Amino acid sequence: MAPLAIGTHFYPDVSAEIAGTSTPALRLESASPDVLTVEDGVLVARKSGASAVLISTDDGSVVDFVHVWVAPATKITLARRDGDRIDGAIGLAVGEDVTLVPTLWNGAQKLSGDGGAAWTIDGDAVTVLRDGSSDRRRFRARAPGKTTVRVGNGETTTSVEIEVVQ
Amino acid sequence: MTRFQSDDSPDTHRFLGVVYALCAFAILLALIASTGCGPMLSAQSPAPPGRSARLDAVNGFWGLKSYRVELSEGVALALTCYEGGPCEKLVVTSDDPKIAEVHAASLGTLEPAGLVNQQTASAVVLVGKSTGTTKLHVRTRSGRKREVAVTIIAPPRPSPSAAVAR
Repeated sequence: MAPLAIGTHFYPDVSAEIAGTSTPALRLESASPDVLTVEDGVLVARKSGASAVLISTDDGSVVDFVHVWVAPATKITLARRDGDRIDGAIGLAVGEDVTLVPTLWNGAQKLSGDGGAAWTIDGDAVTVLRDGSSDRRRFRARAPGKTTVRVGNGETTTSVEIEVVQ
Repeated sequence: MTRFQSDDSPDTHRFLGVVYALCAFAILLALIASTGCGPMLSAQSPAPPGRSARLDAVNGFWGLKSYRVELSEGVALALTCYEGGPCEKLVVTSDDPKIAEVHAASLGTLEPAGLVNQQTASAVVLVGKSTGTTKLHVRTRSGRKREVAVTIIAPPRPSPSAAVAR
């Protein structure tokens, strides 16, 4: 599991392989809530550092733990939904659309976590559509012109220009 | 008529004597190890990178006196307790749970108990909550006790060379 980006959420799929028993009801607890909190079973990255996440049974007996790292995003890259990385402006004809997926990085380390991207657009050539994902955005070209799309996490931002033609 | 031959030479007697003596010594060592002078602790989890999670024995003239633990803030360390077998009715208390917190643990592993038996490991998980020093008190059904001096240290600051340029 990659480090979580500050401000993101992670939805763990918790199970325990214990000889002779199925997985009991488990709960999570963060050792360092200022780094990482557990909210209704979801890990929320708060600040840089590492925190043990204890996996316990209902009676408080720890069956396992894992140390989870949290790091700030220092770079954001954008890709199409099929994974093609976007390194320049995007051209669309009216009626076409493109879905952009942000990836957060700390240097060479890809970060994990959902919900860490804040989107803004400058221009009205495209319409922003949400598809249920907390991070992806779908842009539909509505009128000829240019729009700048910005995505940020904390102080780190990146942008891409979308040019719409008739 | 069949005749059973026996080797009654002095060399054979000497050899058997040495074997019996070694066996007696091994049994004595096993008994000393199994009854011991109190519960013995063993670390069962590694430290995460750049963090501390170590258990050290503090020995005196007569052998093991106590233990000391150095743990980073936010880090967890699994410890097992052994006293001729997994410790029975293990109770570990922390003088200051705000510095070091102790959780009962079920590691799901078996450990030798006596010469031929196995029993579920008796374990706790220690969590470094905040910087400082405190003591743990380990008690078992035998009535014997151990003290563990715990030091929780702050996580390291990122070195300038490790900082990632934006």
